[in-house]
Amino acid sequence: MSTLQLDGVAKTFGDTTALHKVSLHVADGEFVTLLGPSGCGKTTLMRIIAGITQPDCGTIRVGGHEIHMLPPEKRNIGLVFQSYALFPHMTVAANVGFGLKMRGIPRDVAEARVKAALDLVDLGALAGRHPRALSGGQQQRVALARAVVIEPDVLLFDEPLSNLDAKLRDQLRDDLKVLQRRLGITAIYVTHDQAEAMALADRILVMKDGRIVEEGAPVALYRAPRTRFAAEFLGQTNVLPVRLDGGQAVMPWGQRFGGVAARAGSHVSLRPEDIAMTADPAGAGEVCGVTFLGASVECRVVVGDVEVRVRDSGSGVAIPAIGTRVSLTARVAPHPLSEAAAPLTAALTA
Amino acid sequence: MNTRSATAAILILPAGGYLAIFFGLPLLLAFLGGFGLFTRGAETGFTLDHYRTLFGTKSYRDGLWFSTYLAIVPTLVSLALSLPLAVALAQTHPGQKLFNMLYKVPLVVPGIVAAFIVMTMFDRGGLAARVLAPVGIDLPKLVRDQWAVGVIIATAWKAVPFMTLIIGGSLGAINRDILSAARTLGAGPLASFWHIQVPLALPGITAAFLLTFIGGMGAYAVPNLLGPVYPLPLSVHMYVNAFERNNWGLVSAMGTVLSLISIGVLLAYYRATRSMRQSYGGETR
Repeated sequence: MSTLQLDGVAKTFGDTTALHKVSLHVADGEFVTLLGPSGCGKTTLMRIIAGITQPDCGTIRVGGHEIHMLPPEKRNIGLVFQSYALFPHMTVAANVGFGLKMRGIPRDVAEARVKAALDLVDLGALAGRHPRALSGGQQQRVALARAVVIEPDVLLFDEPLSNLDAKLRDQLRDDLKVLQRRLGITAIYVTHDQAEAMALADRILVMKDGRIVEEGAPVALYRAPRTRFAAEFLGQTNVLPVRLDGGQAVMPWGQRFGGVAARAGSHVSLRPEDIAMTADPAGAGEVCGVTFLGASVECRVVVGDVEVRVRDSGSGVAIPAIGTRVSLTARVAPHPLSEAAAPLTAALTA
Repeated sequence: MNTRSATAAILILPAGGYLAIFFGLPLLLAFLGGFGLFTRGAETGFTLDHYRTLFGTKSYRDGLWFSTYLAIVPTLVSLALSLPLAVALAQTHPGQKLFNMLYKVPLVVPGIVAAFIVMTMFDRGGLAARVLAPVGIDLPKLVRDQWAVGVIIATAWKAVPFMTLIIGGSLGAINRDILSAARTLGAGPLASFWHIQVPLALPGITAAFLLTFIGGMGAYAVPNLLGPVYPLPLSVHMYVNAFERNNWGLVSAMGTVLSLISIGVLLAYYRATRSMRQSYGGETR
């Protein structure tokens, strides 16, 4: 267990820059999530930390020691792959014991540690099976046991749950969180799934085009994103134009706010669940689309030339008809965005 | 049920009949010929004389061993060269495309041409001897020598790209993440090679070994040109007995024995890889 420090790590592949001088610090025992769309460089960064890909420049330190010059086998960094990457010709026990064998750990000690690691992921009974006889979830748990049994300084996860179905993914996500807390391992988790990032992380780093554009604790990042990109990538949001009038920000439907919303630029972020909608024949908005999602109802409301997305609990509320006049009220103060404003026609984002 | 069996028989007939007529029948005739039955240019009648001659004559017995030697040794030498070459070719390196093309050149050169190349290079007074003589290196006898070094060189020259191609395909089919996983778990390049790459590429490695081995068993042109005067491989004895002595019965017996050895190796291959193929699941090559 150790701190991880990256300074100015950059990588280009031919003409494409995968990473622009990325620096980051992960505290001992911290669980950090790298969140970003496909091709943002998050997997490249993970592979560079593991030593599978060589960076063009920059330093990597684990527990204060420089490791970027070392081959992967000398780094003591565990990596859990999206594809599980189990050795198909070895049993579950041999897979988990491989790292210990490579370290020359005596057989009896190794066997005990393999057993403990398999018990940790509830797979003790399957030690003698081959990977192909296991389900996807079981295979990924074997991969997890294989990565933690070597007691790595840092544990890396490269979208480990992406190949699993939704229900299994949620369950394994919870197990993973409990395990990481129990073992206290410093961990970096790569994902493009914002729900996964928020559920697991102590801190989320949002990546875009090879750069870390924003970071923060899940709640802070969700409620008060600084950039439009982070606001849009973490869940749905409305990026709305505001008019400044007498030191107050005026929402498209006329609601006024003082404070932060009024001080910053011309656009604010307001989450669909933070807007209350009530039927009102004299209201500023008109419902133009309704989607029933079971747990919630999502409506698209046109206010002037802006479309606003509103989400309400699905519990017992009447489903509004298209064409209904409604009035809107922001339940919380909208959050200003520091990034460049979007054109009005593209004000709604999902 | 009878209708279904009849339908199945009719459906199998084109492929099965083709195999029976063009593969089964000649093999059966060769097999029977070894026992004096339906022998070309001789009266038919069951006899064990041909096998008695084959196993009772020292030059033929030595020929059988020599054929086996010419199958095993060049194949092992080729394998030892092909494995690292296939691994090296799987890595990205400068000039990869050019090298990938160049190493395959021997594939399109006929065996007889390869034999002449080796002769030109390594025979007494050949190119290699003339180049090395001024620096004081005297090459041992490499062509028509006792250990058939010339045959081994020519066979390996032909077989290495062939085996590399098959093994390279097998290595290339291994998920890169699996190799990366092995490295992060503490395996260096050599340990990954032995513990991960070789076992996972084993179906391809054994297939390449087997095909080269069978080719070596029946090789005629290369051992005849570059091999020692004695022993001669069974393939050369077959030629002599067929076209110079018109003893087709003995030729059939020799052919049958060579085929049986190859079939034996094939069965051993399937037996050895059965458990492996079962435990890998998808890996059935």
